[in-house]
Amino acid sequence: MFDNNVFLENTCKNIEEASKITGFELKTNITYYRGIPLSMVNDIRVEVDGEKIPRENISCSVDEVDWFTLDEMETVTTYKWEYGEPLLVRVRQDGGLSKGTHQVALDVIVRTAYIPVPLAGRKVRTVEIA
Amino acid sequence: MGNIKTCVSLYSLQDEYLNKRMSLEDIFKFLAENKVEGIEIIPDQMLHNTPHPSEETLVEWDRLVSIYKMKPVIADVFLNTNLYKNRELTKKECVDLLIEEIKLANRLGINLIRLVSMVPAFVIEPLLPYAEKYNVTLALEIHAGLSFDVPKTQEFIDEMKRLNSPYVGLVIDAGVFCKRLPRVMADYCKHLGTNQEVIDYINDIFAQGKDPRKVYLENGGFPDDLKKLLKSEADHFFAHFADGYENEPYSILDEYMPYIKHFHFKLFEMTENGEEYSIDYKGLLQYLHEKGYDGYVSTEYEGNRWVLPGHPMVEKEQVLAHQALIRNVIKDLEGQEVY
Repeated sequence: MFDNNVFLENTCKNIEEASKITGFELKTNITYYRGIPLSMVNDIRVEVDGEKIPRENISCSVDEVDWFTLDEMETVTTYKWEYGEPLLVRVRQDGGLSKGTHQVALDVIVRTAYIPVPLAGRKVRTVEIA
Repeated sequence: MGNIKTCVSLYSLQDEYLNKRMSLEDIFKFLAENKVEGIEIIPDQMLHNTPHPSEETLVEWDRLVSIYKMKPVIADVFLNTNLYKNRELTKKECVDLLIEEIKLANRLGINLIRLVSMVPAFVIEPLLPYAEKYNVTLALEIHAGLSFDVPKTQEFIDEMKRLNSPYVGLVIDAGVFCKRLPRVMADYCKHLGTNQEVIDYINDIFAQGKDPRKVYLENGGFPDDLKKLLKSEADHFFAHFADGYENEPYSILDEYMPYIKHFHFKLFEMTENGEEYSIDYKGLLQYLHEKGYDGYVSTEYEGNRWVLPGHPMVEKEQVLAHQALIRNVIKDLEGQEVY
């Protein structure tokens, strides 16, 4: 239903810090039709070529200033993930994604106000790393 | 006789907004150019940092409302009772959050709040002094799948009747009056892999004048012959979601008419002959006209969530076609031009 919102095209790239590749990042819109505080993000899952990324290696930001791990996000109520503004998802991984083609999957799962089960969306994209 | 007014919920144009094809101003302009004079807004959707948008956002809102001469009719408010993963909000936390929403509605020039379905009844009494002070009426949404006979909805209605305040009422979503399952929803599920036999089974329930929710309730879950048909996750998804469309007679509203403040005129698909595929708006408007309803009815397009990947988004076209339909019907009923 909201799968089309997940994993924005051409946003997946390696992160370079002090001339070292420390991981990769991507962007996604929300799997809902309104903004919610980050504490209502139930889970974010990333898979690369079928391999699950460990949960503790994932962090997120709505402003590219302050970053929260998924565990930390559970108490973050004053930063909102706005409808129409992407969430940045970073994966800490030495060397990032290797050169070549990868199948990167993103699952976004959020709690909503009245629907008893969280709303999930998934998108798999083919990512080229030059 | 009544004086039914029309407006458009900005929910209808959410994909245009999400993908930045239309800004909030573009939406106001588009609606104003098409003689729409009232809007419904989800502040959480299009006003950042709701319920505390920045002064800049509020000034921009004032500017848009003023230059496009748009009446902001109603704000759709949510209550994040599950803000935290490990517990529900307390009563005090719920009330405090909603006080902020009342203040925001007042600041936006809005006198009516739609409370999302399942908002607990206990918030009403403590909120009444704020509703009166800020002149904002609180109306619970009666939505298909969560409608009149659901215990939490019933509790809200009982409390509403007990308090009997002009500041408390109901918003009715017309998804309660589906004569047929929305075809766009079935097509989307079919694309996901739902079996045609399962779709036929649900369509048949509507054809018999019933709806899936009622049938599931009567059977304590999916009926056995439906269970036999459910083979994939896509089959289950479809069967579950199908209970969000009800097929009630208009007369279910009879006892609630004095409390009804607003209608969501749900729109799944305008067909080529200018009618909504699932809901008979001529019949519904005839009923409301006879009852003397004089509030707003708001176009709420939801077919956007069932657009197949790679197909064009047709939110603007659908909204205009639906507005044309309901304005014409009201005009015929009331013998005057209606916007």
